[in-house]
Amino acid sequence: MAVKPVLELKNIRKQFAGKVVLDGIDLEIQKGELVSMLGTSGSGKTTLLNIILGLTSIDSGSIFFEGVDISRTSMKERGFNIVFQDYALFPNLNAYKNIIYGLQNRQNWSGKEEIDELIDFLELREHLDKKIHQLSGGQKQRVALARTLVTKPKILLLDEPLSALDGVIKETIKERIKAITKRYNLTTIIVTHDPEEALTMSDKVMILDQGVVSQYGTPEQVINQPRNGFIEEFILRQLRIKRDNIYGLFQECHA
Amino acid sequence: MHKKKPEIRLVLLGILAFFAVFLAAPLGVLLITSLKSANGIDFANYITVLQDKSVVKAIGNSVNISAVAALITTVLAFILAYTVNFTQTANSLKSLIRLGIVVPMLLPSITYGFAIIYSFGKQGLLTKLYGVELFQIYGFQGLLVGYVIYTLPFAFFLLNNSFSYIDKKYLIVSELMGDGFWRSFTNTTVRPLIGTIGGAFVVSFILSFTDFGIPASVGGNYNMIATELYQVMLGAIPDFPNGSVIAMLMLLPAFAGVCFLNYLERFNFAYDTISTTGLPDNKLRDLIFGGASVLLVIAVLAVFLVMFIAPFVKNYPYDMQFSTEFVQNALFNRAMVSVYENSIFVAVAAAVAGTIIAYCAALVNVRSAITKRERIIIDMTAMIANTVPGMVLGLAFLMFFNDSELKGTFLILIISNIVHFFTTPYLMAKNCLSKLNPAWETTGELMGDTWIKTVLRVIVPNSLATIVDMFGYFFINSMVTISAIIFLVTARTALVTSKIKELQHFASFNEIFVLSILIFVTNLVVRLGCDFANKQLSSGTNR
Repeated sequence: MAVKPVLELKNIRKQFAGKVVLDGIDLEIQKGELVSMLGTSGSGKTTLLNIILGLTSIDSGSIFFEGVDISRTSMKERGFNIVFQDYALFPNLNAYKNIIYGLQNRQNWSGKEEIDELIDFLELREHLDKKIHQLSGGQKQRVALARTLVTKPKILLLDEPLSALDGVIKETIKERIKAITKRYNLTTIIVTHDPEEALTMSDKVMILDQGVVSQYGTPEQVINQPRNGFIEEFILRQLRIKRDNIYGLFQECHA
Repeated sequence: MHKKKPEIRLVLLGILAFFAVFLAAPLGVLLITSLKSANGIDFANYITVLQDKSVVKAIGNSVNISAVAALITTVLAFILAYTVNFTQTANSLKSLIRLGIVVPMLLPSITYGFAIIYSFGKQGLLTKLYGVELFQIYGFQGLLVGYVIYTLPFAFFLLNNSFSYIDKKYLIVSELMGDGFWRSFTNTTVRPLIGTIGGAFVVSFILSFTDFGIPASVGGNYNMIATELYQVMLGAIPDFPNGSVIAMLMLLPAFAGVCFLNYLERFNFAYDTISTTGLPDNKLRDLIFGGASVLLVIAVLAVFLVMFIAPFVKNYPYDMQFSTEFVQNALFNRAMVSVYENSIFVAVAAAVAGTIIAYCAALVNVRSAITKRERIIIDMTAMIANTVPGMVLGLAFLMFFNDSELKGTFLILIISNIVHFFTTPYLMAKNCLSKLNPAWETTGELMGDTWIKTVLRVIVPNSLATIVDMFGYFFINSMVTISAIIFLVTARTALVTSKIKELQHFASFNEIFVLSILIFVTNLVVRLGCDFANKQLSSGTNR
């Protein structure tokens, strides 16, 4: 399966005000993989995301990108990018100006055709002149994705990408995120608290519990070989209830 | 939160250096001067001052009147705020109350006194309407009326703000539970507001206690601490030791008041949600509160009516023929025009520089990763700036910069205004900036921005409305203040308010009123301009 990992975390530790938030995290991600970091609030998943992004410093351990130690590299120089949970779009600018925001700083990030293609791929053409508050949740997210993709991130980070969206469009957005990562061969890391989300859209899932990795593997591995009681209890049981409810709804037989 | 960046450190250091030089050092010098006597550092000056019967009497008078005024103001402000928030008085009347109460804020407090003299004096406008003299204007009663008018808007806005945070659902619940008016009133209105009611009293007290304009105009022979300080300092030889002692005695109650205000904070209720349900019907309540409030606002406005009449007649009150002679004389008088220009210049400069400084201080405080200690230092600085009365700050400036290049310049007036009025705009900026999306700086940085660039491209454009309000606040207050600048002006740098004080010696009341109208109109234009700008902004963007 694996050649050289594109991103590698080794024994990451972090504490805030004496409280250990991450305790010896190891992680390897291959080029083009879509990896979910799944955990409850307080599990340390957002801290880990910020550490990979370069926003939060680590106490010990190291981070390698394509074999190069980037533990002390600044956020800006790492060249990763993130779409925040609330998108952090700039309300004083319209959708288009948000999308091309970064080009004022580096024109060579993306060319005219690339941006045009991105806009069409994300179906944003008709919304370009709109103010941010005129956009729906899904449109906002696509604008935020476009703004981020313009900068050609080496790794794309998504913080709870589905949590601010209406239930009905979640499935569509899942497909779109998968399509983006495939199309641009983007290594993507998603943070989520929703097991269903993590297991249905990612190549691999890392389950965090109280600052340590509970299990890291493909969705099949998690489902079929849960490594401990936490995963069995809090993840699989919820999913089974959900499955039974949906089966019940469609009145299908199940074993 | 963001990594420490050199530019943020630079802004922080700049702000701390500014307040070290223009707040901490002058106050330190003031304190030392008050403690320095022939025998070294002791309380000899304090003992000398406190043995002076007239000073002790003046302090007593100030405490006394300020307390009575604060009590009356709090009750009146409560009635106004209650009418606006908790009655079904017609919306047009509510607007009248809200707008009418602002009028005094656009005028210097020294003008209030002259308006009172012209309204309630023997030949006063309102005296004539009533046919009898309502009260003795010079001394206690005149001062009391002046202070109540002066502090009413401040108390009203405090209470009005707190009223808007009360969950009106509880009024309905109380009504459904069968409460009568009084039980409902005390439980759903007075109780949640008790902290703010106390706050309104304290704020009114401090404002009256430290005001110079009103006692300067209607004080007569009734000595107040502010006029006492003025006399000590502006005699033939300024008495620095005794002046500094009186200033310290003025600072202490103000300081105690601000501490008490912070203590009162904890009595404020915090409702989980603010629902905007309708109010229970009560025609009698609406009639009583609505009527009282409208009468009150009309009474306040009536006091100022005279200043718009007197300068436009031949010889008020004897010859009431319309004449623009005084206005023309004033407006074509080089000396008058130049003080007006001076005032505009100082107010604009203080507003521009003050807004930038207050905005930067707030920006560094709420949107960057400075240490907790640095955060507290900025907040403490703002609190101290708020505590120091204008006259005390002015005197401290006078002492500290006496031998410097700054003495007698416009710059010292501008800085005095910035420091004196720093706190409110700073808190406005803090409040606004803390509500903006915390991820914008990170996003900007990932898009290749420097910190400054994100601030200019995103943070500033999204807080323009607040910046406009901050500018308006600095401008209007710099235009009307007399206490912060009275010790610092020279013949060359005279401002409208200090000119009014000077004209008082010549009993040139028509000129005083013309100058006051100039300030009023200027402030009104700026206030309306700010409101208009904000309306444009909010229709242009999403908020």
